[in-house]
Amino acid sequence: MNEKIKLPRVAKGKKPKYLDDGSIDNLMAMIMTLTQEISVLRDRIDTLERMLEEKEIISTKEFDDYVPSDDLEMMRKDRRHELLERVLLPIKKELE
Amino acid sequence: MSKQKHSMQPRPSHDESVRQDFVTDMRAYLTDEIYSLITPHYEKKIEPDFIQVNERKPEDKSEVKSLMLNDRGYQSWSLLQRLSQQMMFTSVIDTVERNLNSMIDELDNHQSIGSLDIDESLDVPRYLTAYDIHQQPGGYHSENIEKDISAGAVYDISLPVYSRNAMGEENDLLAQAIIRYIDDHLKTFQPLEIMDMGCGIGNSTLPFSKKFPDSRVIGVDVALPCLRYAHARANALGVEAHFSQQNVEKTSYDPDSFDLVTSTLLLHETSHDAVPKIIQECFRLLKPGGWMIHLDVYPFHKKEEDPLYDFLKDWEVINNNENFSGALRNMNMRKIIEDAGFSSETVEFTSAEAAAKYSKGYTGDFYLKLPVYLAQKPSN
Repeated sequence: MNEKIKLPRVAKGKKPKYLDDGSIDNLMAMIMTLTQEISVLRDRIDTLERMLEEKEIISTKEFDDYVPSDDLEMMRKDRRHELLERVLLPIKKELE
Repeated sequence: MSKQKHSMQPRPSHDESVRQDFVTDMRAYLTDEIYSLITPHYEKKIEPDFIQVNERKPEDKSEVKSLMLNDRGYQSWSLLQRLSQQMMFTSVIDTVERNLNSMIDELDNHQSIGSLDIDESLDVPRYLTAYDIHQQPGGYHSENIEKDISAGAVYDISLPVYSRNAMGEENDLLAQAIIRYIDDHLKTFQPLEIMDMGCGIGNSTLPFSKKFPDSRVIGVDVALPCLRYAHARANALGVEAHFSQQNVEKTSYDPDSFDLVTSTLLLHETSHDAVPKIIQECFRLLKPGGWMIHLDVYPFHKKEEDPLYDFLKDWEVINNNENFSGALRNMNMRKIIEDAGFSSETVEFTSAEAAAKYSKGYTGDFYLKLPVYLAQKPSN
């Protein structure tokens, strides 16, 4: 079984409005999702730095001097696309 | 970071796991730091403003509602609370989607204990298809792929996120509350044939297999993706139970064949028509002397003194696709139970309790107390 499945992300049902109009509600959703992603990143960096420190591998200076390769730049571009996808989901929902 | 609780459970990646952790923390913050401000805000600001104009207090929940829906503070909390539910599902679905093919491949290795009966022709009732309960996208019944188990897996890993990890390692706290009630109040009761109605992923089914090792335990539900997951999950946990895809309004089992019929959080997800049918079916299924025990969210027939509290209780109805739970509270449940034939002196509306420890950075005890209603079928 290799089929790549996409599960639904939006629930069926009433969509109440809360603040002024739906746009403010969407803004709140976007802000909270961004906050969530910042939290994810902090936790990931924290995991990474702790592991590197434990293993005595990389110093902070080496991090700062690092230059990514073209392939890595491409991967990062895709990752940022996924981030935007997640953040802009409320807008997509408006249009779907 | 979450750890896998059994071999069928999808394992979140680092980022998925901490994304889910954020939702747990966001929900805790919303409850502890923001929701807790609403009653004081109402008492200090909203109610006095109303009294100044009308020279009396708001008298019922609909009056409170019209004040609250115009209050920016309440509406902001309400919006964030709704968003937290959506963010919970989004963060959990990522994990399930990524692991779905390999989980489905694992199903074959998780079949040896218990059984699973499927009825592909079964109609899922409209109260489960008209909207997605709790905003779980696709609800419990939708199939996205052959042998789909995604709805069950989503439910399994979202419960700890929802509850600050307080539902127990096996998400079984609700059933533990019923078991504790049986231990305390029906002391000598040793059921041999047990049915868990609306069993979903079987998290409230398996505790009965473990508690009563000589019994045969059957979990019944309409939602196939949950049942497939339930059977595989039971195998992963090494607990025997039999799962059957049926509508609990009318099952295929013989009359007088069960000692105990239970449900957890089932009735408030059904409908006006379904509730009496389910109670009648409980009566039909039970042996003389058998017990029916339902655990649900809200007590019945309790006239609230406080219109604010009365309004706040409806939050899930309006904001989280719990469309029937408000109406259920107004049904005459005692009459429905007695009309079905249960002995009126055994009908009881009380509560069941259980305690668990918070985990993952949360300390202290989570104390659960939910209404139960039970009744005994007359002995011959």
